[in-house]
Amino acid sequence: MSTTELDPTEFSQGGRRLFIDTNIFMDNHSRWTGGLKRLFERTAPTIIAERNPIVVPMKVVRELEKYAGKRSSRVAEEQVEAVRRSRIALTFLEDAEARGLVRTDLGDDSARYADDSFLRVLEWAGDRYEMCVITDDITLQLRIRLRSAQLNRRFAVGTLTSDGLVAVEDDQSLFGRGNRKLDAKRQKVDDGTATFADRQDVDELTALLPEFQTVFGLKPWVRRRPNGANAAGGPDTGEVATTQSAQAFSARPPHRDADRLLPPVSLPGEGDEVQVDSARGRSRVTLGKLVGEGGEGRVFEVVGQPNRVIKVLDSEHRTEHRQAKIALLTSRPFVAKGIGFPIAAISNDDGAFVGYSMPRASGRELQVTVMRPARFRATYPDWKKGDLVDVCISFLEKVAYLHSLNVLLGDINPKNLMVNANKDVWIIDADSWQLEGYPCPVGTPMFTAPTMKGEYAERLRTPVEERFAIAVMLFMILITGQHPYNRAGTDGDITRLIDEGIFPYQLGEIPGVDQPEGQWRYMWSHLPKNVKTVFWNTFHRDGKWYDRPPTAQKWLRLFTEYKQYLDGPENFDPQSNDVYPTRLKAMAPDTPIYNCAQCGASMVGRWQKDKGTYWTPKLCDDCRQNQSRCKECGKPKPAEALKDGRCWECNRKLNYAACMNCGKETPKKYLVGGRCSNCQLVACKDCGTLTAKTALTYGRCGDCVKKAAELDPSRLCVDCRQPFITRDHVGWFQNKYLDVPRSHTAIKQQCPPLTAAEAVRALEPQRVSLSWWQRVTSKWRNN
Amino acid sequence: MALKIGADDLVENPTPRVPVSLCIDTSGSMLGDKIRELIEGVNLFYDAIDEDDDAHDAAEVSIVEFNSAATLIQDYASIERLERIETVDPSGLTFLGEGVNLALDTLEKRKSVYSGSGVLYYQPWLVLMTDGQPNGDPDELERAIQRVTELVAAKKLTVFPIGIGGDADMAVLARFSPNRPPLRLQGLKFKEFFEWLSKSVSRVSRSTPGDTVKLDLEGLAGWAEL
Repeated sequence: MSTTELDPTEFSQGGRRLFIDTNIFMDNHSRWTGGLKRLFERTAPTIIAERNPIVVPMKVVRELEKYAGKRSSRVAEEQVEAVRRSRIALTFLEDAEARGLVRTDLGDDSARYADDSFLRVLEWAGDRYEMCVITDDITLQLRIRLRSAQLNRRFAVGTLTSDGLVAVEDDQSLFGRGNRKLDAKRQKVDDGTATFADRQDVDELTALLPEFQTVFGLKPWVRRRPNGANAAGGPDTGEVATTQSAQAFSARPPHRDADRLLPPVSLPGEGDEVQVDSARGRSRVTLGKLVGEGGEGRVFEVVGQPNRVIKVLDSEHRTEHRQAKIALLTSRPFVAKGIGFPIAAISNDDGAFVGYSMPRASGRELQVTVMRPARFRATYPDWKKGDLVDVCISFLEKVAYLHSLNVLLGDINPKNLMVNANKDVWIIDADSWQLEGYPCPVGTPMFTAPTMKGEYAERLRTPVEERFAIAVMLFMILITGQHPYNRAGTDGDITRLIDEGIFPYQLGEIPGVDQPEGQWRYMWSHLPKNVKTVFWNTFHRDGKWYDRPPTAQKWLRLFTEYKQYLDGPENFDPQSNDVYPTRLKAMAPDTPIYNCAQCGASMVGRWQKDKGTYWTPKLCDDCRQNQSRCKECGKPKPAEALKDGRCWECNRKLNYAACMNCGKETPKKYLVGGRCSNCQLVACKDCGTLTAKTALTYGRCGDCVKKAAELDPSRLCVDCRQPFITRDHVGWFQNKYLDVPRSHTAIKQQCPPLTAAEAVRALEPQRVSLSWWQRVTSKWRNN
Repeated sequence: MALKIGADDLVENPTPRVPVSLCIDTSGSMLGDKIRELIEGVNLFYDAIDEDDDAHDAAEVSIVEFNSAATLIQDYASIERLERIETVDPSGLTFLGEGVNLALDTLEKRKSVYSGSGVLYYQPWLVLMTDGQPNGDPDELERAIQRVTELVAAKKLTVFPIGIGGDADMAVLARFSPNRPPLRLQGLKFKEFFEWLSKSVSRVSRSTPGDTVKLDLEGLAGWAEL
């Protein structure tokens, strides 16, 4: 890259202008640490002398104010730094403006971005001044350089150096940087991790770069890729070059002939001496204690060499291919921490190949640590999600390195990976790797791509098939042992589940299907959106990358971003840091996070689309399911709402009954003979008939009431000879032992007017024929 | 609540399970040394699984006994929840068909629990041990044989019929396992048998579901005669 350094003083001369862009103030890049101070020290004398202050366009000031205006309570750590820097910058500008070193009154606020302000100045003042813009934005540099060429003006653009100089790149290398930027942004768009600004950059650069190339007559930009990237990364990755080792194996070797067992020999065991054939020559060592027994052989310590182990292949795995692979791997001096590169081939006393030595891996198999929640909690109780992300990154770094050597791991599985407390991953089992056309003869169905059928040894794995295994492994590390295709309602045949390609977890609007029971969906929920997007698209048969899972490099970028996300401002839900969150992730920063009123478990409000509010039930699902229940109806009720183990409703039902007469719900203890107190049968005080209490009036039944109200026909008014007094009234007098009145007048009533006939009858002496007894009684009565 | 705890245990462990069903004869003829050695063997089996990292998380064992009836004495449970057997009092007849059917029913239930919760599992194992002649309902016996052979043919079951002593009806046991001949326990080598069984379970637990696991047939020599 060729860069020219300009002295900014040149542009503080009269008739020239020097501009500074926002990113120079905001970004804390090591390339220009202290550069701003030096810039002003350099230019101050000229500026003062020429009265030509450096221009910081109004839009730039506005952008700085926007950062500075963020209330610190609402921003997370990462942004706190931005707020701090922008405030420093504003204070500095104010000070510099007061001294006449800077002017901020140029340009206007109407342009959408500061970039546009610079281009406008270029348009309208380009013929008056020679100008220089200091910016670190490649897109803006390209735009300005292109425009100045088209206008045929001198318009310098470059970035700041820590010496306060302006570093101006030549056109070709600027063009290259633009292309690399476009590449990186496109990658983000492909990954589904792009922001709006990223997409805008892609659009802008896509249009800009070809024009730039034509105008300046530049050589086309060639994407640098490792020689072997096709083998490791596939042809469709668009991957930016990684360091390609000169020691790499062939990128596309032909498949070797079928493997054959080596003639049987006696295999050394603990305490036996073996021969070590390394690049440095021959030596003898003694096998120490047995460290482990795997599917392919036994691993021994080496007496006197604590950092080495020796794997002795068992008779079924001592093959020509394995011997050849060990020879290839030991012929080159690979050393990489965390990769069990064979160091030397090992022979028995007869000089027959029996295995190889390798560095001793530290840690334990993922199989018995990360992949088993109970063991994981016991082994690494303090690990957070970020630690698992570190494990993924450590794994990916090693895989990416092996891929850059055109080595495929082949049988990626949690028994071939070890992890220690420092989150360093070790890759072991080098003898099964695929390289130089020797296939990896073993495999693990859980990590076997759907395209792989038949015997592992019969064909070479493709890089895409390897990437499938990587994706599954990453998922199983993050979700601690759960397989991405495991779901409820199946017969557990993992090969078929992989073939079906149904990924059960939810992504945005795409609902989850048959997610396995347990905490898994919470763990999934707390992964950041971009990670989920990539997993979903990789695993689901409808996903964009189902046919070509991401490369190790791409995952590495994604997981590095994941790590930053966890420490950054976008990570608003504290449970996202937990390996085992106990609930779904909060939808947004303002989603209420609170505790279950009963068990104290963390809960989040559930967004109700129709109402536009969060639903915040008091109890968590578990408590609602597990809370005390009424022993009668089984409905969940808080313990304090239960009396004698029953809810209020059931107690009421149990203790109350309807009165058989009026139907009123009445406590059973008040019911007598099925009737409430109101409906009790009481004897009528007159006739003695049993009658409902409510039907009694002053103790009388209806009939007796009616009867009592009737005039007593046996008592006639002495005046008018008509019945005049009710039975009730008679009773009243009798009860008081009073004489019963004998006329209307005596009871303060008037005799009714008589009809003519009655009047006559009244005047006439009575001729009623009475019996003797009647006459006697009447006489007695009237006396 | 008890059921709920079982379910939590099930779903929190993502390890694919190896369901092992022990279907054992506890008829009167097993009285004495046979049953004592058998119980010792089962408990040893439990200990061996407990000590093996992989089998510990994967194995789930259930036990059905048969005499004049079939009884489920241990439903499928992980090693941590298995109850050690203290004593069994052998008595009565040999309702082998009924026993196997109960074991298969229990297995079907367990499989549907796995499926419902989303737990992967390996091909289940059925260990059938008897020292005599089946004398339960002949229809039940035929049904049991048919069910087992169908499951084995569909690769949904691995069956180990084991004859104990000279009176075991090897012909009937053979009908349960068309592919592999039944094995006759040498003397009372229950301990050796269960050691072999636990090793085989560990082997399977270290593989992943779908893998073809080769049984350690050489290891049979220690306890079986073909």
